Parts: sequence; structure tokens; C-alpha cells
Amino acid sequence: MLNKFKKIIKDFTLNELLFGMSVTAKELVNTKITVQFPEERTPISPRFRGIHALRRYPNGEERCIACKLCEAVCPANAITIESEMREDGSRRTSQYDIDLFKCIFCGFCEEACPVDAIVETQIFDYAFESRDGSVLTKKRLLEIGEQNKKAIDQTKLEDSKYR
Amino acid sequence: MEFEQILFYVFSFWLIASSLAMVFSRNTAFSALFLILSFFSAASLWLLLEAEFLAITLILVYVGAVMVLFLFVIKMLDIESSTLRAKFTGYLPVGIGVAIVVIAEMSLVLGSSQFGLGKVANPIRHSSDYSNITELAMELYTTYVYQFELAAVLLLIAIIAAITLIHRIDPRTKKQSIAEQVNTKASDRVRLVSISSPNKEDKK
Amino acid sequence: MMALWQSFVELVYELIPWLDGGVATVLIILIKGVALILPLIIMMAYMTYAERKVIGYMQLRIGPNRVGPIGLLQPFADVFKMLFKEIIFPSKANIYLFLLAPILAFVPAVAIWAVIPLGEGFYITNLDISLLYVLAIGSVGVYGIIIAGWASNSKYPLLGALRSTALLVSYEIVIGFVAVTVVMVASSVNLNEIVAGQKGGAWNWYFIPLFPMMIVFWISALTETNRAPFDVVEGESEIVGGTHVEYSGMCFALFFMAEYINMIMMAALAVLMFFGGWHSPFEGIPYLDDLFAFVPDIMWLLAKMSFFLFLYLWIRATFPRFRYDQIMRLCWKVFLPLTILWIFVVAILTQLGVGPWF
Repeated sequence: MLNKFKKIIKDFTLNELLFGMSVTAKELVNTKITVQFPEERTPISPRFRGIHALRRYPNGEERCIACKLCEAVCPANAITIESEMREDGSRRTSQYDIDLFKCIFCGFCEEACPVDAIVETQIFDYAFESRDGSVLTKKRLLEIGEQNKKAIDQTKLEDSKYR
Repeated sequence: MEFEQILFYVFSFWLIASSLAMVFSRNTAFSALFLILSFFSAASLWLLLEAEFLAITLILVYVGAVMVLFLFVIKMLDIESSTLRAKFTGYLPVGIGVAIVVIAEMSLVLGSSQFGLGKVANPIRHSSDYSNITELAMELYTTYVYQFELAAVLLLIAIIAAITLIHRIDPRTKKQSIAEQVNTKASDRVRLVSISSPNKEDKK
Repeated sequence: MMALWQSFVELVYELIPWLDGGVATVLIILIKGVALILPLIIMMAYMTYAERKVIGYMQLRIGPNRVGPIGLLQPFADVFKMLFKEIIFPSKANIYLFLLAPILAFVPAVAIWAVIPLGEGFYITNLDISLLYVLAIGSVGVYGIIIAGWASNSKYPLLGALRSTALLVSYEIVIGFVAVTVVMVASSVNLNEIVAGQKGGAWNWYFIPLFPMMIVFWISALTETNRAPFDVVEGESEIVGGTHVEYSGMCFALFFMAEYINMIMMAALAVLMFFGGWHSPFEGIPYLDDLFAFVPDIMWLLAKMSFFLFLYLWIRATFPRFRYDQIMRLCWKVFLPLTILWIFVVAILTQLGVGPWF
């Protein structure tokens, strides 16, 4: 009986509603946790799998030897490779395409590569404006590798001790 | 022509036009909306007569509540115009008869012998601080209080009758008691018991 | 302020001497209307900004901050976006009613402001039955939603409209009864006189004898303006946007503006009916009264309204949506008996002549 009376009093004084509102009022003045993306970035793991890049040796020679292991291991069939002999007799790729619409960013190509040629960078905020922009050609992949050489070397070094 | 007269003719035109449109419109929803327009025009005419309380009440009650429910019903109904049109000729004689009676009655009441300026005096114009609603309230609660209360009781009876017609308790329907649900505490539903497990001692 | 206005009116009369000032009268009404609607729309625009900002802060976010300093130009960006968007007509919609609906939602929302006084003798018209006028025109606003739901010829708008129709009609009754208690205390239906009855300090305001009515009124106001936690008309999680589903561009913007202008109106009404309108809360206190004497009366009204507008956002950020049948239950089984009971309480208190209010 007394409990019932207490309940009625509690209901009609809007006790629980006011408690709920006090919670939101407290959060109103609390420190905000928003990360303002282009200016601020959250730390990214060295194993983060972003857009792909092809690397070169320090002497400028491209690493990829057209072994097609990445093409074989790719679960989404996103990679297309054509190879031919270069003037100096070494086997090189004439075409190395990654279809980003197919790619699932599993990182198997990076794992399979015997010469560490194809890598996945930490870049995730990329965009393209035309439909064929979705296919990364060999030229584009090498460019990305060139532009982010330092960052790629750094992350690979960081991760190397756990491999 | 004075400004007020222009307003009178504008509102009268809309009242007649929308009433006719209501009758002749094929779409039921349009009919209801034209009726609302005619209510508004009538309310505006009453405003010109300084009967602002009546005008506002017309809008509040008829436009704000009654017509909303009309539209509500119209939205739910699946009206097929072909069946309505098929019945039209059957109802026509009765309709014409009723129309003639209504026209005759109206012309008797509103004819120039009954309702002209000669019979009914031009309403007196009051100054802007004249409170229409106070005068109305004084009349309603003193001279006509008996009739007023009777009308109120009649409405109350109608409300109770409508509720009792609808509110039948069918034993087959399953209902939830919200008050009961809200008042339930965790202890009413879940019983926590402490169980002593016999193997506990052995493992040690 | 009124003196300035008066001289302006005389100037208009002198500039247009023909037709016995008939044209000037119409012109002054037009100027008054524009002078009311423009600040109202700017207020509404910044209300949307405040809503996003406050709810963002309550959810530990920071809200819009890209357009202009701390996002202050965001409302204008929204307006331009809305203006340039295409208005799409559903192929089987009734086009006349489809276009009529947003107008019918917007016009009553603005028309109500004709009688809302904003300060001592600062109004568009001093209607003798202004409170009734507010209720009557407010009840017309529901047609926008009904017609939008019907004319869209689509299922979600129809469901939203059906929900709202019953809801708004029910809660209008509650608001009507609450207004009756206020009218009983103030013994006038004129908003100016209701405010005049609350003159002299915060203890004279009507929210003290009518405290439960104030809360009932505010909850009903949330329902009348379709605000969370009673926004079953839109119900994003159930009926994806209710009556607004088929509307885009300026048509949608009109609905949006109507909702916010109604919100501001309800806040103003709550202040006028329960919180002393434009009267300072310190009236009659020896020292504080002089200290705040420089504040113009409209500022007090706006300050009190701001609190209520903030309350809208606060409540929206806090509570989850009510289930439809529970809202109806709240109306018919809780609020209506409570308001009728309070009418009797007020009648007894009036006869006893309690306090400074009666």
C-alpha cells in the first residue's frame, strides 16, 4: 500500500523523466569527443589495409617480377596481370590492374608477394570522379608507391618485428 | 463602395461558389475541402457582423474537429463512383422533393416579407472596446442558463451513449493493461535464488 | 519603440494621401506582416541550427561547424539547398492537393502570430478573443498533414496522416481545457489581459496555481507540434518520415518551417499564459527591479521563450518515442481527467480568493 502510494507520487512528480533530463543536461557541458576528420585523425595501425601501391627497390628498379601469385590468391579476382620480357631479358609486368570495385582489401596479395612489391598503404580517404577511375593501373600504383614511399617504409619497418 | 462592402461581396461569392463546388464535385475529398472553404467564408461574414465569437467557434469546432474526422473517414472508405451513379436515378425523385420543400421553407423564412431591412433593423456598430464575448456569456449564463445546461447535458448523454455503443468487452479479445505493465518491478517477474552446488567442495 | 512605429505610420499616411488613407491602411497591414514574418523566419532558421547544435552537444558531438564561424551560416546553406532542389511529384498523386498541403500547413502557423502580443501594446491586432483565435487557427494546421497524407497516394504518408489526425484532434481538447483554466484565473480570453493579470513579480505568474496545467499544456504542445517524443506523424524508424515522404525541395521546407514556427508559437503561448509574458520576474522587489529596469519588455518575453525552445530540444535529446496507443491513453485517461479536475480546483480557489492570482 505504502509502495503503491510512493509509486503514484513518483509518477506524478515526473521523477524518472527529470532524472533522464538531468543526464542529458550533464552531457551538454561534458567534453566533446568528436574527431574533426580532415584536420584531426585517429591513429592508424601499421597493419591497416588501405589503397594499394607498387614499390621499387632503392635503385629505382621496380620490385614486381610478374609471378602472378597475387592474382592467384586474390579471392575477389580483382587483380589482372599481363607479363612480357623486357629488353634486358628480365620478366616484368606489362599490365597490372586492380579493380577497386571488386577488391575487398583482405591483404592476401601483400602476404603472397615474394618480393614485397604490392603493398596496402594506410590511405583510406581516396576518391575518383570517373568510372574507369575505379581501376588502378600499373602507372597509378607505382605513383602511389612513389608518393608515399616514406610512409610505406615506415609502417613496414614498424610491423616487421611481429612477422 | 466601401471597403467592408467589397469584403462582404468577396466572402459571399466564395461562400456560394464553394458550396456549389461542394455539391457538384465528383471527388469526395474535394467536396469535404470545399465545405471547409465555405465554413471559412461563413466565418468571415460573421466577423463582418461583429460576431467574432461565433465565427471563431465555427472554425474551432467544425473546421478544426468535425471536418477532420470527415476527412479521416473519407480516407478510410473505398468509394466507387459507378455504384453511386447507378443509384442516382433511383434517389432522384426523393431528392427533388426534398429540394423543393427546402427551397419553399427557406423562401418563406428568408423572403423579403420576413427578413428584409424593413423587418429586421440594421445591426448597431459598436466601438472597438466592446466585448462581444462578455455580452454573449452574460446572456448565456443568466437569461438562457436553463437551456444552456440542458443542451450540455444532452451532449453529455450523446457522448456516453456513443462510448457505450463502442465499448463492448469481448472475452475473446486480448488486451494489455498498460498500468499493470508500467507498475511491474523486476522482482515481480524474476526470482533470484541462491543454489549451493554440491561439487564445489570436492574440487577444492 | 511604439513611438517610432507611430511616427512611421504617420509618415506612410502622409506619403499616400489618396483614397482617404484606405490604401495606406492596407499598406501598413502589409508592412506589419512583413515586419513580423521576416524575424520569425530568421528565428525559425536559427532554431534548426540550435537544434542540431544542442542535440549534438547532448550526444557528445559538436554539431554543424563547417559553414561560417562555428557553423553560424548553416541555416542559409540549408535554405539554398532546399531552394534549388527539384520538387518531385509522385506519378499518381493529386497534384492540386499535393501542392495545397504545404501551403495549408504553413499559412495557419504564420496567421496565429497576428494576435500574439510581444510586449506592452506591441502586437499586430488586439483581438478580444485572441486565445480562442489561437486555438481555432492552430486546429486548422492539421489539414496540411491530412491532405499531404491523402494527396501523396502513398502508404507511409497515409499512415502518418491517420496517426496525426486522431492525435491532434484529441490533444486539442486537452489544450482547450488548459486554456479554460487560464481563462478562469485571468477572467479574460484576451492574451493582453491574461498577461496584464500576471503583473508584478514572479509570484504573480499563473504557473503557481496552475502548475499541473502548465506541465499538461507543455506535453500537449509537444504533441500538437509533432515533436519528439510524440513525433509519430514522422516516425522515422517506423514509417520513414510519414507525411513528408513524397515531398522534396521547397514543399518539404514549408512543412519544416510550419513545424518550427508552431514550436516558437507554442513557446510564446506557454510564456504568455503561465510565465507572465513580458513582465520581469523581479517586478516589485526593491533593489532588483531598478537594476533590471533598463531591459525592454520584449527581451524578457524572448528570454523566457528561449528557455521553452531549449526545453523542446532537451526533451527531444532525452526521451525515446512514445508508442501511438500510449499517447492516446495519456491524453484521454490521464490529461483529460486531470484538466477537468483542475477546473473544479480553480473554481474553488477563485471563490475563496486565494493568493495574488484570483
